[in-house]
Amino acid sequence: MNLSDKQKKIIGELFFAFLVTIIILGSFFGYWNSAPADQTCASCHEIVGSVHTFANSAHQELSCKECHGTALSNGLHSMKEKSMMVVNHFRGANTEDIRMNEYQVLEVMNNCKRCHGSEYAKWESGGHSATYERIFLDSVHNSKEQLNYDCLRCHGMFFEGTIEELVKPVSMDGPWKLTDKKRSEMHTIPCMACHMIHTDGYTMSELLTEDHYSDSARFFPTHSPGLSFYDRAEKANYPVELMSTIKLYGADTLLTVSSDGVTRNCVQCHSPNAWHEAGTSDDRIPRGVHKGLSCAACHEPHSNYERNSCATCHPAISNCNLDVTQMNTTYADKNSPNNIHFVSCTDCH
Amino acid sequence: MNSTFISRRKFIKLVALSSGSLLLLPRCSNSFNPAWRFFTAEEASLVDAIVEQIIPTDEWMGAKDAGVTNFIDKQLVTHLSRFQNKYREGLYSLAITCQELYHKKFHELPWDDQTEFLKKIENGSHNELTSIHGRYEGGRIWNGGDDRSFFRLIRDHTMAGFYGSPRHGGNRKYVSYRMIGLNYPVIQGRNKHV
Amino acid sequence: MKNKHVNAVIVGAGAGGGVVAKELSVAGLSVVLFERGGWATYDDHDHDEIFSQRTTLLGNAYGPDNERHRRVRVLPNGEEVVLLPSEGGYANNAACVGSGTVSYGAMGWRFMPEDFKMKSVYGTVEGSTLDDWPITYEDLEPYYEKAEWEIGVAGDDSQNPFSPPRKKPQPMPPFEHNKEAQILESAARRLGYHPFPIPMLRNSIPYGGRPQCYRIRTCVGFACPVNAKCGTHNTVIPVALNTKNCELRTHSVVNEILVDDSGNITGVSYFDDRKKRQIQTADIVIVSASATETARLLLNSKSTFFPNGIGNENDWVGRNLQGHAYCGAYGIFDEDIYDDRGPGASVAVCDFNHHNPGIIGGGVLCNEFLRLPYLFTGIRPPNSPSWGAEHKKFQRTNFKRVGQVIGPYQEIPMFEARIDVDPRIKDYWGIPVGRLSGNLSMKDAEGTEFMAGMAERWLIEAGASSVWKTGIVRGPRPVSGGQHQAGTCRMGNDPKTSVCDRYGRVHGTPNLFVADGSLHVTNGGFNPVLTIMALGFWIGEYITSEWRKGNRFK
Repeated sequence: MNLSDKQKKIIGELFFAFLVTIIILGSFFGYWNSAPADQTCASCHEIVGSVHTFANSAHQELSCKECHGTALSNGLHSMKEKSMMVVNHFRGANTEDIRMNEYQVLEVMNNCKRCHGSEYAKWESGGHSATYERIFLDSVHNSKEQLNYDCLRCHGMFFEGTIEELVKPVSMDGPWKLTDKKRSEMHTIPCMACHMIHTDGYTMSELLTEDHYSDSARFFPTHSPGLSFYDRAEKANYPVELMSTIKLYGADTLLTVSSDGVTRNCVQCHSPNAWHEAGTSDDRIPRGVHKGLSCAACHEPHSNYERNSCATCHPAISNCNLDVTQMNTTYADKNSPNNIHFVSCTDCH
Repeated sequence: MNSTFISRRKFIKLVALSSGSLLLLPRCSNSFNPAWRFFTAEEASLVDAIVEQIIPTDEWMGAKDAGVTNFIDKQLVTHLSRFQNKYREGLYSLAITCQELYHKKFHELPWDDQTEFLKKIENGSHNELTSIHGRYEGGRIWNGGDDRSFFRLIRDHTMAGFYGSPRHGGNRKYVSYRMIGLNYPVIQGRNKHV
Repeated sequence: MKNKHVNAVIVGAGAGGGVVAKELSVAGLSVVLFERGGWATYDDHDHDEIFSQRTTLLGNAYGPDNERHRRVRVLPNGEEVVLLPSEGGYANNAACVGSGTVSYGAMGWRFMPEDFKMKSVYGTVEGSTLDDWPITYEDLEPYYEKAEWEIGVAGDDSQNPFSPPRKKPQPMPPFEHNKEAQILESAARRLGYHPFPIPMLRNSIPYGGRPQCYRIRTCVGFACPVNAKCGTHNTVIPVALNTKNCELRTHSVVNEILVDDSGNITGVSYFDDRKKRQIQTADIVIVSASATETARLLLNSKSTFFPNGIGNENDWVGRNLQGHAYCGAYGIFDEDIYDDRGPGASVAVCDFNHHNPGIIGGGVLCNEFLRLPYLFTGIRPPNSPSWGAEHKKFQRTNFKRVGQVIGPYQEIPMFEARIDVDPRIKDYWGIPVGRLSGNLSMKDAEGTEFMAGMAERWLIEAGASSVWKTGIVRGPRPVSGGQHQAGTCRMGNDPKTSVCDRYGRVHGTPNLFVADGSLHVTNGGFNPVLTIMALGFWIGEYITSEWRKGNRFK
């Protein structure tokens, strides 16, 4: 094939233009992924607030892309999304409150586990890693109580839509189906349901100093920084430091409840009824002989595993000659004589 | 060889920086102030001072720290955009009135003078007040109880910013709910049938 | 594409329209149900006090929106102001499937027999159009029962000695009182009042395939997060849609009732969700768009046969607009009486509803729904500062200590209290907007003063250390309307002094009906929704029984 000089010239020019574009874009991409946040992501006023809190956070030594990925890490989808942010910016659309969508929240978890692998594995082994199928297609539950908007307060809290958009039919007569089949294996209670990533806390380099270890023996809080409840209504995490200890009533008396942060967080979903009567709804705050104990006294925070915890306080065989490691203590068993959350002295004596 | 390498690296960095800043250029030319959407910096500090008078700091955060100015600013470009003129005029008139009566800016007044001044605004006591300053040129600063209605407006919006939902830009750290002792998020279990 | 002719169009999917849609479609008539809004969910504005249906500072959570709707109000001094739906004087009713029944407080009252014969009981009241209904309580009783069972009411009338006679109890047991109501209940007994639980259109037990109420704080003004509130949107409308005879057209705004060259009503014209004007023909047209919007639609339907609007030969359409003159009292207690058990209102006394010397009608008194923090900033004893350090301190000291007793005082109907059509202002669709004018009767001054006094007495007995009265009519007060709007197409036997007959049919037309609060001759001393629903069943049954007999309403 013969090309005229003119054609060659055009091809040459096009190639050159292509090369320049690649260099510019490539270098821009490289710059974007290496420069500090305030010169890159935070130059969008829409996410200034978020970047600002990040800058003081425990994760401040990481760069944005290590959790959020780059514009290329999710292919065309994220390129389109980022482009739309720019377009919306110039259209003057109200793009102020940019938040991650549910897919992004779940995607970020893959990055959480790079460093927090052990916690992630424990979470996966426990009940809080339940999938949409497990929670929303439970025919025993669904045939006894109609699914409703409030389910999404504690499961699927990052789902963007209403319960009708999630499950069909929203009635007590099944069969129930997820409107989007892809959802069935997705997790309903991701890391961000209880953890705020952009938050105050010790950075890795602070943690690695010797001083920290000696200090931490005295000052290290009982819960990790950033422990918080994702408030679906406000679309923001509510830190446990701001939560007050629940006032729990038994008959007409105020019961003793642990003021520990972990308990304050658990109570957000494992809660009693509106007027906080002990033992109602999903309440399992310890009372009776175990009153005042934190949830974390028995439950490992990520797996919620509790079987071995009795032995930390009790001798292997209790005063009642019961093997505490074998006792039926589960709250779920209504017939359990030893429901660990409520058992009182008089239950045995 | 070594030096060329460095210069090449420098060159790439330069290209990167220049292309990067190229993309940022429109933002700069837009003269967008990331702090405020509607208010000027001057207006914002006046609003800060007014809302802090309406809900002052005590053992609990006041309106200024709770982000009430941010709430009003945000609403003025969204749900409450119909009040933009009222705020622009009202804040201007209020600043001029303060200048006439105290020869000072509102936020420079001692706390008690600020309170007294706002009480007069609230009662609509400035019907006859004229000014040679600014756009009034000897005319009345407020017409027919405008001071009173402007105060009513900013009072209501301050209360909404402080006692309303944090999602709208005020009530930082859920301060008002915590102050009242209201559980928020609501701690409430489901109806348990299973 | 031309819309297929149907047996009936219903304009407005609220309390009245939803019920009629169900009655007609179950009987086999083909129905198109129009709704200007869409489906509403709690998620739209969850927990958001300042963007709810009760406090509308940032807008109405469930519509209508501020962008497309306007209304004019004539103030007592004659000045006319253009209002947005979220502004106080607009007299807004929600624009969504179910309308107010999605976000209401859900009190499910029956009117008392006296409420249907106010003129017979109280005589002619000078300056007022007070009159008897063409139907009696006994006529409506079976339909109240239908409403209670098909939509769902929790209550126990046996504790109320003034309750109207009933054949069947309410289907669900009453709600437990919260702390405020418990304190007030025992105080009421000490005073010799007769306290009883408020009947509620809310599930106290699982009912109708929906869960029981879990007593959330954000109830009134919000859709229900657990779907325990019973409205037409989750009861009768789904039944209607399941028959496949009823088509619901949301985001559709009906602008005119169509009249052919011979003066027959043939259907309606409407703007669809894309603002395209369309025609829907029907054998029967039923308007149930709320007292203000029903009247506006009739008045906007002008033709050579109806030059002043349909049903308006005698200038009665839009007249006698009534709401309720809410009055009562607040009291500050020495200890917390707030226990966060929503929605709050649960104890009532009916002692001040009828048979109180010198008082025309009266009303029920109840403890009030929970006050949320922003609303509470306006609740202060007289002459207290409305801002500043003291105001803030009051807010935190007394939020949980202020109790409130309040009641819907029955307004005396006034001919001059009305909605008509504004000659200048048009809405987004180019439809002339409604104009509200007229004031309450000064007769209401005595009644509201009396009721507020009784509320105050109740609070003092309950232990309130500081009390103050609210809502007393002291001077010209513009007609209220709002969620309780009623009266604008009153039913009556005399076409000269009413708009509709006893079955809600517009006088002089064979096939045009009204089925909402517009029909109320008087508005009772109660929240009117159950009466509107009962009227829906009454009218629906009339239409279907006639239809079965072969009457095609020509």
